[in-house]
Amino acid sequence: MYSRFYLSVLLMSGLVLVTYLVLTAYDGVMPEWKHYQIEYKELLIKNAKDDATRTRAQSMQSGLRQTYLAGLKREDRCVNCHLGVDNPMMADAKLPFKKHSGNYLANHPVDKFGCTVCHDGQGSATTLESAHGKGHGAHWDRPVLPLEYVQSSCAQCHDFDMLSKNGGAKVAGGETLFNEKGCRGCHKVNGRGGSLGKTLDKVGSEPIAYFSMKHVIGDHTVYNWLKRHFEDPQNIMRNSEMKVSLKGSDSALLTMFAMTLRSDEMPKQYRDMKYTPEVKLNGESLYKRYCIACHEDGTRSLYNEIFNRTIPAIRNPAFLKAADDKTLETIIKEGRKSTQMTSWKTVASGVSDEDVKNIIGYLSEKRPAEKYEPFPIPMSQGEPNNGKNIFETHCSVCHGKDGRGGEDRLGVSLRSPVVQKMVNPEFLAATIRDGRSGTPMPPFGKDAIGLGDKDIADVVAYVRAFPK
Amino acid sequence: MTSEHQEKETVLSRRDFLATSAFLTATVAGFGIIAGFFRFFKSDVRYEEPSVFKIGKPENFPVGTARKLDDKKVFVFSDDGGFYAISCVCTHLGCIVHTSDNGFTCPCHGSKYNTAGKVISGPAPRSLPWFEITQDVDGSLVVNAGSEVPSGTKVKYS
Repeated sequence: MYSRFYLSVLLMSGLVLVTYLVLTAYDGVMPEWKHYQIEYKELLIKNAKDDATRTRAQSMQSGLRQTYLAGLKREDRCVNCHLGVDNPMMADAKLPFKKHSGNYLANHPVDKFGCTVCHDGQGSATTLESAHGKGHGAHWDRPVLPLEYVQSSCAQCHDFDMLSKNGGAKVAGGETLFNEKGCRGCHKVNGRGGSLGKTLDKVGSEPIAYFSMKHVIGDHTVYNWLKRHFEDPQNIMRNSEMKVSLKGSDSALLTMFAMTLRSDEMPKQYRDMKYTPEVKLNGESLYKRYCIACHEDGTRSLYNEIFNRTIPAIRNPAFLKAADDKTLETIIKEGRKSTQMTSWKTVASGVSDEDVKNIIGYLSEKRPAEKYEPFPIPMSQGEPNNGKNIFETHCSVCHGKDGRGGEDRLGVSLRSPVVQKMVNPEFLAATIRDGRSGTPMPPFGKDAIGLGDKDIADVVAYVRAFPK
Repeated sequence: MTSEHQEKETVLSRRDFLATSAFLTATVAGFGIIAGFFRFFKSDVRYEEPSVFKIGKPENFPVGTARKLDDKKVFVFSDDGGFYAISCVCTHLGCIVHTSDNGFTCPCHGSKYNTAGKVISGPAPRSLPWFEITQDVDGSLVVNAGSEVPSGTKVKYS
């Protein structure tokens, strides 16, 4: 006979195994979705208005359902729980049985479009947690989109023009906001924009792991990251140089637009886009698109705490007196070395020469007709040595001892190519004498601080003699 | 010794009970595992076009309708007798047949079927199958291309 010990072990393990099998069998017979289907059936029978409907409801079979979408390479099993999604009787039912809101399904039938193409989530999953893909345990990069961001999916197939008129006003509004806030000043989309920030072409379909979620409050999803980031970038990424702080609805709109930037493209038969030739924008719209993020309205010079430098007032008449169209074009196209002004020539930014011309046209609208008052003595008489003393007394406070401007200083760099090469020295002298309105640069002439013409000429000579 | 001996004779001994129950649970668990193993051969759904599909509300198919659903490869008809669905896949080599004056014609090898899908001429070996039409809980008609019904079966729904 067998020993009592071995028999006990056998009995115990047998019992454990049987219990496990019973639980597995129960889970197999009654998966999560089946409870919903039973409840839905009861709801149908209860709500049935006539006998025919009731009979149909009673004969409803429960079983695993799916929408097979060969063209989209998806199998959406959302309909296992969202059973009444196209049933008009379920207009007032509770979730998940509620009928789809609005008239969207008339043009987007479930059996052609499925669910996840608009709503995201994990279509092939059969439990709530994994299907909605939310939370740390779900391991799904495209969790179900909350209602406020669902419109971002419309832009996969529709153009913003059409969306703005046909129920996609929010996502179209997000696009307008994107253009008007000057996001392209730093970020490229479709190969067009500045190069300070990241290219945004795929941001809406990037894996969650690409985003630093450490300081994100709430769901650790891409859209939540984007929203929090638009509200306070430095709070999410400590060393971010992004200058934006949007409030509630604006940040939601911009998040919505950012979520439309996806790398995956819908199959052609699903798209309904009008590829209209690009509209020629006027100078003002272009200025908004590419410049406004840093220069704001351009009439006053601004000290930027993140860049630690003063951003010049480029639409200020005094500035425009100095910079003719040719100079502006050179600055825009070549950028300014060692500042945040990057190059805007076509190969670097995707902005065409014509657009640059339009921007210059907009900038120089306020250029005064008359030039500065001529300076009485020729610049060649300046003595750099005397200029050095005056510079250190009067100028270095704002422009720095070495004239580089930059960190924590009000003045701009005097070693930039503009000051060194492009501008006429006589103009520099006139600027020192008369100051520059709209900026912190005060007049230093006889009537103001008391520098004589000769002294000013000396300073100019000193400044122009900076080692290149 | 004596008492143990007596117990064994009168009722089942503790040792025997243990042995019996141990082997019994082991057997049950074993069968359970085998049953579970076979369960995995049957899938709930497959990665393929569904054979059961909704075609819309009955009022979209008024009497006299003859509609070809290209992507589903089926004709749907509605007449005084009710709704019926006939496959449009030729039974010969699987071309898509089209309606002709008095039935269906296959463009590939000229098989001809009458209005009920019965072969009249050509190489087709069998008649076109008729599919079951049911009604879904929301009132839509449902064609089940996986379930054939005898030729002439028409159903009435409203």
